[in-house]
Amino acid sequence: MKAGFRIVFFKEMRDILRDRKTLLLMIVLPIVAVPLLLNLLIGFVMKKEQEARTEVLEYVVFGAEHAPELARAFETDSGFKNVSLGSPDELAGAIRGDRIDFGLVIPEQAADRLSGQEQATIEFHFDNASAGSKVEERVKDVVGDYNEELTAARLAELGVSSSRERRAVLEPVRLEEKGTGNMREVIGDRIGGMVPYFFIAFCFMGVVYPAIHLGAGEKERGTLETLLLAPIPRHQLVIGKFLAVFCGGIIAVLLNLASVGTWLAIKAGQFRGVLGSLIGSIDTLDLVLLALMLIPVAAMFAALLLSVSIFARNSAEASTLISPFGIVLIVPAVLALLPGVELNGFWAWVPVTNVSLAMKELLKGTMDYTMLLAIFASSTVIAGGLLFFCAKWFNRESVLFRV
Amino acid sequence: MLQVCSLTKTFRLARKKRARADQPDPRERGRWFHALDGVDLGVQRGQVLGLLGQNGAGKTTLLRILSSSLKPASGVVLCDGEDLTRHPLEIRKRIGFVSGNTGLYGRLTAREMLRYYGKLHGIAAAALDERIGSLAGRLDMSRFLDQRNETLSSGMRQKVSIARALVHDPEILLFDELTTGLDVAAAESVLKVVTDCREEGRTVLFSTHHMDEVDQLCDGVAILHEGRLCFEGGVDAMRSQTGESFLDKAFLKLIRPKTEETQ
Repeated sequence: MKAGFRIVFFKEMRDILRDRKTLLLMIVLPIVAVPLLLNLLIGFVMKKEQEARTEVLEYVVFGAEHAPELARAFETDSGFKNVSLGSPDELAGAIRGDRIDFGLVIPEQAADRLSGQEQATIEFHFDNASAGSKVEERVKDVVGDYNEELTAARLAELGVSSSRERRAVLEPVRLEEKGTGNMREVIGDRIGGMVPYFFIAFCFMGVVYPAIHLGAGEKERGTLETLLLAPIPRHQLVIGKFLAVFCGGIIAVLLNLASVGTWLAIKAGQFRGVLGSLIGSIDTLDLVLLALMLIPVAAMFAALLLSVSIFARNSAEASTLISPFGIVLIVPAVLALLPGVELNGFWAWVPVTNVSLAMKELLKGTMDYTMLLAIFASSTVIAGGLLFFCAKWFNRESVLFRV
Repeated sequence: MLQVCSLTKTFRLARKKRARADQPDPRERGRWFHALDGVDLGVQRGQVLGLLGQNGAGKTTLLRILSSSLKPASGVVLCDGEDLTRHPLEIRKRIGFVSGNTGLYGRLTAREMLRYYGKLHGIAAAALDERIGSLAGRLDMSRFLDQRNETLSSGMRQKVSIARALVHDPEILLFDELTTGLDVAAAESVLKVVTDCREEGRTVLFSTHHMDEVDQLCDGVAILHEGRLCFEGGVDAMRSQTGESFLDKAFLKLIRPKTEETQ
C-alpha cells in the first residue's frame, strides 16, 4: 500500500488543479499578469519620460531686456515657447492653471551685476510639486549652458583661457571616486530589496487558496469527517495536505520566476545603462538560487496557513483569519529594505527577512553562500514546528468539530 | 457484535454558549456539557438498530464515537470484544459511516472519489476497480460514475456517499439521517441499501426522525433523550410499552416523561 500521505497529496493536487480560482492565482497570474504588468508599467514610465523631455514648454520672461542673451537662449531652443502674461503677480495662478509651464523674472539690476562680474539672481517660478516633471531639469540645462559661457568669458578676461586652467581655478581639488562596489552591487542594493517582496507576495498568494480549500473547505463541504475515518494516522493526512499547499506556493513562485526570467531575456536588449547591465548580469543560476530560497518560505506559509485554515469553521472565516497574515508576513520582507539590515550571523536566522536579504545579496552578486545553511536551517525548523502544530490541531476535536 | 458500555462524552463549553441562569440545561455541569451520559447499547451482527431521539439528543455524537472520529470521555465501545478506542485504525477498516450532511469532493468524479477512499483503505487497484464496478451496478450509479460530483443531484450524491462508505466492505454501517433532503424515489433507493446490508449480514446503526423508516427497516430501536438512553427494545415493544400503534406517538410518550422529569 502507498503511504497515506502520498494518496492524500495526489488527490489534493488533482482537486486544486481543477479549480479555476486556484489556477488563476497559482498559474495564470504569475505567467501572464506579471510580464503584462511589467510591460505596461515600464512602457508607461518610458512614454511619460519621453513626453516630459520632448514636450514644448510654454514660458514667460519678465525683464528679458536685463539678460537678453539668456532670454535668447530660451527663444532659440525649439523645446520652449514664449508666451505673454500681464504681470509677475499672475505667474503662480498661470502655472497652477496649466496656462504656462514656468516663468522667469529677471530683475532690473541683473544687467549691471552681470556686466560688473557679479552674481545675478533670477526668479524661477514652476510647479515643484509635480512628480516626474522635467521642467526644472530642462530650464537648469539652458541656464547651465549660459552660465558656462559667462564663466568662460569672465575667466578669459582674467587670463584663464585654456580648459585645463579653467578646471584648476573652478575645482582646485577633485575627488576621484573609487567605490569598492561595482555597478551591479550599487543597483542591486537599491532595487534588490524590492524583488524579494514581489516574489514572497506571489508565494503567499499561491499558498492561500489551496490552504483554505484543503482545510476549512473540507469542513464546509462535509468531507473532513469522512476523511478522518480513513484508516491512516492523522499526521499522514496533514503531511499530504501540507505538501499539496506547499506545491501551490512553489508552483506559483517557479512560474513567476520563469515568466520574469523569460521577460528579462526578451527585453534585456531594450534596457540601456546600469539597469541594462544589472539585468544582463543576472544569470540562470541566480534565478535557480532565488527559487531555492523561496522553498522554505513556501513551506512556512503552507504550514501556517493550513493550521489557520483548519481552525476556521468555513472558507469565509478562513479568509478573514488569513488576510492579516498577508500584511504581517510581508513586514519581515520589508525589513530587508531598512538601512543597516544586512545578511549576517543574526539576520540569517530571522525568518523571511533572511530570505529577503539573501535575495538582495544574490542580485548584488555578493552572496556569502555559507549563510544559506543558516537560512535553510532556520526556515526548516520553523516550517517543521508549524507543521507539527498543524498535525496537533488535526487531532483536536475542538478544532475539527468546532461549531 | 457492537457493544457500548457506560459511554460518556463531554464538551467544554465556551462562556458565551453556557445556558442562562433562568433557563438551566440539565446536561450542563460547570464548564462541561454532557452530550452522552452513561449510554449502554448492544447491536447484534446482521441487525438494523434504529437510533431515535430529538435534535440534540446525542445521536450524532454517539455515531461519531462509534466511527472513532470522537473519543469518549469514559466508557468503552467493543467491536467483537475489541476496544474501539484503543485500536481506532483497525476499527476504521471495519466501519462505514454516512450522514445526511456528508459531502463529496465536487471536482472529482464519483469514480475518482471512490478510488481515493479505496486506496486510503489499502485496497489494491484491480480489486478496487472491481469493487467500484460492483457498487455502481448495485446502487445504479453507472450512468454518473464518471461525472463530476458537483454536477450530481442530491439523490445521486447520497448514493456516492453510500458507495464511499461501502467501498472497503465494512462489517458495521453507521447511517446518520440518511434520507434528509431526498425525494421519495431517492429515499426509497437509499433505504433499499439498508435492507441489502442487513441481508448481507452487516450490522447497521440507523439514526432517523422518520418513524415509517423505523417500522420498515429496524429490528430494534434505541431512543436517546438528553444524552441518556431512555428505551431499548424492538419496534413491537415500543408499541406495547406505550399502548400506541403509531410509532410517532409511542416515541413522544417514551421521551415525554423524561422531558417532564427534567423540567
